[in-house]
Amino acid sequence: MNNRFFIEVDCARQNKHGQGAPGDVFLSQRDPDEGRIVCVLADGLGSGIKANVLATLTATMALKYVRSDMDICKAAGVIMSTLPVCSRRKIGYSTFTIADIHPDGRIRMMEYDNPPAVLLEGPTVLPLEKKSMEIQTAHLGPRPLFYSNFRAGQETRLVLFSDGLSQAGMGRPKTPLGWTAEKAVLFLREQIRRLPNISARQLCRAAVTEALRQDCLEAQDDISCAVIYFRRPRRLLVVTGPPIDSRKDPLLAARVAEFDGRKVICGGTTANLIARELGRTVQVDLSFLDPEIPPVSMLEGVDLVTEGTLTMSKTAQLLEQNQEPDLSRPNAAVRLMNILLESDQIEFVVGTKINEAHQDPNLPVELDIRRNLIRRIVWLLNEKYMKQASIEFV
Amino acid sequence: MKPLTITICTGTTCYVMGSGYLLSLQEQIESACSRPIEIVGSSCLGLCKDGQYGCAPFVQIGSTVIAEATPEKIIETLKQQTARNPMEQI
Ligand code: FES
Repeated sequence: MNNRFFIEVDCARQNKHGQGAPGDVFLSQRDPDEGRIVCVLADGLGSGIKANVLATLTATMALKYVRSDMDICKAAGVIMSTLPVCSRRKIGYSTFTIADIHPDGRIRMMEYDNPPAVLLEGPTVLPLEKKSMEIQTAHLGPRPLFYSNFRAGQETRLVLFSDGLSQAGMGRPKTPLGWTAEKAVLFLREQIRRLPNISARQLCRAAVTEALRQDCLEAQDDISCAVIYFRRPRRLLVVTGPPIDSRKDPLLAARVAEFDGRKVICGGTTANLIARELGRTVQVDLSFLDPEIPPVSMLEGVDLVTEGTLTMSKTAQLLEQNQEPDLSRPNAAVRLMNILLESDQIEFVVGTKINEAHQDPNLPVELDIRRNLIRRIVWLLNEKYMKQASIEFV
Repeated sequence: MKPLTITICTGTTCYVMGSGYLLSLQEQIESACSRPIEIVGSSCLGLCKDGQYGCAPFVQIGSTVIAEATPEKIIETLKQQTARNPMEQI
């Protein structure tokens, strides 16, 4: 695990008003071994399904080529000459920005026709030296491409956006030229100045929401904003299930007490044992009741205490469906999801003692369910949400 | 009058079997048995293990365990306890 910094990647998107399919596509993949991340933002010609196909093709190809270490410039050339051609406009076209990010912060970037990517250190814009090069395309002749190679340090953010964001509000009396990239960057800087630790997730959403506001809530084009944030990792410990050997209980409790980061306990029995070891008490908090998910409890020194199986299955389901944590219905599963998404490095410590409290006659099955459930959550966090999550069985 | 504590299990089994509903009945129970009560939640009470105590959801009032608890059963138990032990109210 790369502890120097964590790279949080997130993208917010708003489809063009009335379009079911996004014409902008953002893809990002983290290599679990190297920690290298490749991100692509592509904006297909037009909007709707045709644009979506172009953008998806572009982004998928870019991701593949760059990951297989094809030269980033060559990859760009191949993509531009292979895109299918629109029968009406006789061109096959999608803009793209590819960022190839090394876990130590080195970035190689290739930009084609998207608004220029911005590198911010705190709220300050850092200049990027971009080399222009020409690439032959099949239908548009030679086109300029910008290549840059730089290093991102702690507390920097690389922001990519589509022209739907910079041109939002175009043609309106107040913004005849649209929001403009300059104003969008000012907005980003202002957000960071106000909330220096604003997550990639929050920042890209804020930018898209503002662009949509410029468009009077009806997006004239697909709006996308991706933020890649280099920062100190936010750590989270999730403990669930009592250790197989109860002599290890004190160790587990000490680990919870000493952990440097936020802490969550899933499971009533586990919470009771930790409380007992630490000489504290657990209290069920009845201030919010949900018909499906048991209430949370309070335990001094622990950020969240939930019931086990029901809560975690629901959280897994929410993560799978890519739902925003709905904090207006703050049941334990939503709160668990929220705290997971607000963390970068997540350690699951899973006790493997069979929970004799359950009525199920096939007790070992219950343990299997719990193990698989956690594996699923960890997989989702790593693959879908770009977290660094790990499991340890005790 | 000191409120009487009603412990409702919020463990996995009891919750699946409907204890969540019971948690929201403070007022109804109070007015039905005309004495103050306090509902507290608890993690698994350990009663669901082997069927010895009956089926979930479980509610505990003092030393009385109510299995397959319903609002009616809770109210009935409260009334019985009050009748048996009126002094406790003071
Ligand atoms: S879950 Fe209620 S007694 Fe076990």
